[in-house]
Amino acid sequence: MTGVSTSAATLPVASTGRVHAAVKPVLWLALGLLAIEVLVMALEIRPYYLPRPSAIAANIMATPGAYLAGLWRTFLETALGFVAGSLFGVLMAVIFHRWVTLRELFFPLFVVSQTIPVIAFGAVVVLWFGNTLFAKAVISFYISFLPVTVNTLLGFSSVDPRQVQLMRSFGANDVQILRRLYLPAALPQLFVALKLASSLALVGAIVGEWFGDTTGLGVLLLQAMYNENVVGIWATIVVSACLGMGLYSLVSLAERKIVFWGGEQ
Amino acid sequence: MLNRRNVLAAFAAAAIGLQGIGMGAAPAAAQDMVDASLRLKWLTQAQFAGFYVALEKGYYKEEGINLTINPGGPNLLTENLVATGADTFGLSGGTDSVFAARDKGMPIVCIGVSHQVTPFVFVSHKDGPVQTVADFKGKKITTWFTGANHVLSAMLSKVGVDPKEADIQPQQVSVTPFVDRQVDVVTATRYNELYVINQRVGKDKLDLFVPEDSGVSFPRDTLIVSEQTAAEKPELIEKFLRASVKGWKDAFANEKEAIDIIMKISPTLDRAQQEFMLTEVKTLMTAGKASTDGLFTIDKTAVGSANDLLAQYGVISKPVDLDAAFNASFIDTIPAEERRL
Repeated sequence: MTGVSTSAATLPVASTGRVHAAVKPVLWLALGLLAIEVLVMALEIRPYYLPRPSAIAANIMATPGAYLAGLWRTFLETALGFVAGSLFGVLMAVIFHRWVTLRELFFPLFVVSQTIPVIAFGAVVVLWFGNTLFAKAVISFYISFLPVTVNTLLGFSSVDPRQVQLMRSFGANDVQILRRLYLPAALPQLFVALKLASSLALVGAIVGEWFGDTTGLGVLLLQAMYNENVVGIWATIVVSACLGMGLYSLVSLAERKIVFWGGEQ
Repeated sequence: MLNRRNVLAAFAAAAIGLQGIGMGAAPAAAQDMVDASLRLKWLTQAQFAGFYVALEKGYYKEEGINLTINPGGPNLLTENLVATGADTFGLSGGTDSVFAARDKGMPIVCIGVSHQVTPFVFVSHKDGPVQTVADFKGKKITTWFTGANHVLSAMLSKVGVDPKEADIQPQQVSVTPFVDRQVDVVTATRYNELYVINQRVGKDKLDLFVPEDSGVSFPRDTLIVSEQTAAEKPELIEKFLRASVKGWKDAFANEKEAIDIIMKISPTLDRAQQEFMLTEVKTLMTAGKASTDGLFTIDKTAVGSANDLLAQYGVISKPVDLDAAFNASFIDTIPAEERRL
C-alpha cells in the first residue's frame, strides 16, 4: 500500500524538487496507520468491524497476483472509459456551445441519462456487450462525461464577448476562436471536471464489474463482501484507493503542466 | 533499402507461412466445434466447481463445445441473458426464478436441477428465545425476499402462525446482526452463510430449521436454455450435460483437485470455506431423487410443490405448466448409472 502512495506522492518532486514536501505525507500516513494499529489492538475492536492495518497488508501480500491483476484490469477499464468520456464531454460542450438549438434540444436528455441508476443501466450493457472489458469501459464512460460537458460549458461562458469580437475583427474563423480563445479559457474549469470524472470513471468500472467477471477490483470487493471476508473488503478498498489517488495525481500533474497559468495551486 | 526489403519479404513469408499453418490446423478442429457460453448465478466459487473441472479437463472440448463460463453477479438475471440469446446455457437462481420467468412469458426451459432440496435453512441461537418454528411468532426474522420469504410463510402457516405475526425483514449481505443477537432468526444457505455463522457463533450453539421438515421443498440452482436452443440444438444440450456431469463426478471424486482449480481462478477465496462449500453442495446435489436417478435429475414432485407454493402466495399468477417449463428429456439421455456418484 505505501509503495503505491509513495510513487503518487513523489510526483510533485519531479516537478518542484521539494523532497521534504513529498516525504511528509508518507510520514503522516505511516504514523496514522500505526495509530490505527495500536488503537484497534488497545480497544480490542473485533476484526469484523475494523481489521488491523497489518492484517490488511498481510492479506494483500498473501495473494499479490490477484490484487495486481485486478488493479490492472480495473485501471484499463477506467482509463478507457475516462478518456472516451472526457473527449465526448468536451466535444458535446463545443457542439452545445456552437449550436444553442441543439443544446436546448439535447441537454435535458443528457441530464435525464444521468438519473438512470447505473445498476439498471449495467444489466443492459451486459446484454449488449457481454462480459468484456469494453462493457465496463462503457459504464465508466456513461457516468463520467456529463461533469466534463457541464464544466466545459461553464468555462466557455466565462469568455469575455469583447475578446471574441476582437478576434473576429482580425478575421479569425470559428475554429481559430475555439482553439485560441474558448478552449484555453475553459481549461481550468475542464480540469476540475476531469478530476471529478477520474473518480467517477473508477466507480463506474468497479460497479461494472459487479455484473459478472473474473478479474477486477469490483469482483474482489463483491467476493469479499458476500463471503463476509472483512479483511478482504478492506484490502480491496485500500487497493482501489491507491488506484483512485494515482488517477487523480495523474490528472493533477497534467493540470500543472498544461494550465501553467492556473491560479488554483 | 534492399536489406529492408529483404527483411520485409522474410516477414511476409513468415506471416503467410504461419497463416498457412493456422489455416491447415483450424478447419480440422473448427469443423465440429460449437461456441457456447454458460452464465452462472454468481461469481466463481466451489458452488460451480463441476463446470470448471469439466472446462479445465477439456470435457466440453471432447464433446465439441468451445465453452466460456461467464460469472454472474447481483442484479444480473440469468433467465434474461439466456432468453435473449446473450448466453447459451444458464445456471439460474432456482425453481423460483424459472417459474417467475415462465410466468412472465420468457422463453426459457429448465434442463436440469442441481440442488435437489432447499439449499437454505433458518437458524436461531440455541440459548435464545426461538426453539421451534412456532416460536417464530412475534420474533425478528430476516430472510431474502426472492422466494425464501414464501418458504418461511409456508413453514409458519403449517404450525398455525400467521406470517403477519412475525417481524420479517429483508436480509442484508451480512449475518452480523444475527451474530450480535439483534435478530432472532436468520436465513442461511448451507454452503455459504451457514459456514460464516458456524465460525462466529459455534456449530453446537445453533438450532437449524429445515424447510423439508415442514413439508416444503424449494429446489434451486437450475440449468436453463432458451426454447429456441431446446428445439433446434438438442444434441448440443445433451453434449453439454454429459460433459458437465462428468466434471461434477470428478469434482466430488477428487475434491482437492476441484478446489485447486477454483482457487487458481479466484486466489483470494478462503480455501477452508470453499472446501466446506463443495461438501455441502455435494449433499444438496445428491439428495432426494438424485440419490437414485443421478445428478441434475428433475424431481417433478419437489418442483411441483414449489410451483404450488408460489401460486398460493400470488408470486406467479397461476401454476406454471410443469412439462413445458421443465424438460427432462435431455438429462434422461444420460443413463442414471452414469449420473450417480
